[in-house]
Amino acid sequence: MENKVKIARIQVNLTQQQLAEKIGVTRQTISLIEKGKYNPTLKLCLDICYVVNKTLDEVFWVEKE
Amino acid sequence: MMKKITDERLVLQNLNNIRIAYIIQTIGILGILGYDLDTKGLDGMRENPLWLVFMITTVISVYLSMSISADHENNKNKPQRSLNISLVVLVFISTVIGFFVTRTNGFKIIDGVIMGGILFICGLIPIIYIYYLRKKRLDENNKE
Repeated sequence: MENKVKIARIQVNLTQQQLAEKIGVTRQTISLIEKGKYNPTLKLCLDICYVVNKTLDEVFWVEKE
Repeated sequence: MMKKITDERLVLQNLNNIRIAYIIQTIGILGILGYDLDTKGLDGMRENPLWLVFMITTVISVYLSMSISADHENNKNKPQRSLNISLVVLVFISTVIGFFVTRTNGFKIIDGVIMGGILFICGLIPIIYIYYLRKKRLDENNKE
């Protein structure tokens, strides 16, 4: 699943490790989410959004093909 | 010290791993029981404590999967109606089997009553449980 986690993370100057620690997951999970290889739960999506100061729309919205 | 895993991906992965281990364990138990069945016969196999372990796990897994099928089925029947039908069928089956036990050589009438009673109770528990699940789901649907 495509998303803009990586861009949002870089905009707030966080490494994968730092973002992971703030949310309470492992760095591997963040890496897999950024690559679109893991489908996070809505709760985890929200946690990411809170940390990068963006809305769900801005980070995870993709247009229907 | 073991830290509690908070990463949802790893929790999920962990559950999948447990599932794989469970499958292997079950295959192992079935293999041992099958070997016992082959070498010692049915009674010899039942003496193995693994038989009890296997039966308990099977019963638990059936009960747990009932809540899944209750959610899965798109049942238009009312739970009360399903309960009544199940009860009638159960009473019929227990009575018939109990009756045939009393007619079998070497068994008295009391044996038939006991046999029918045991069957009735064993059947009654899952029927009541599934009725409870369906009713709970219906109540939740009505609340929305």
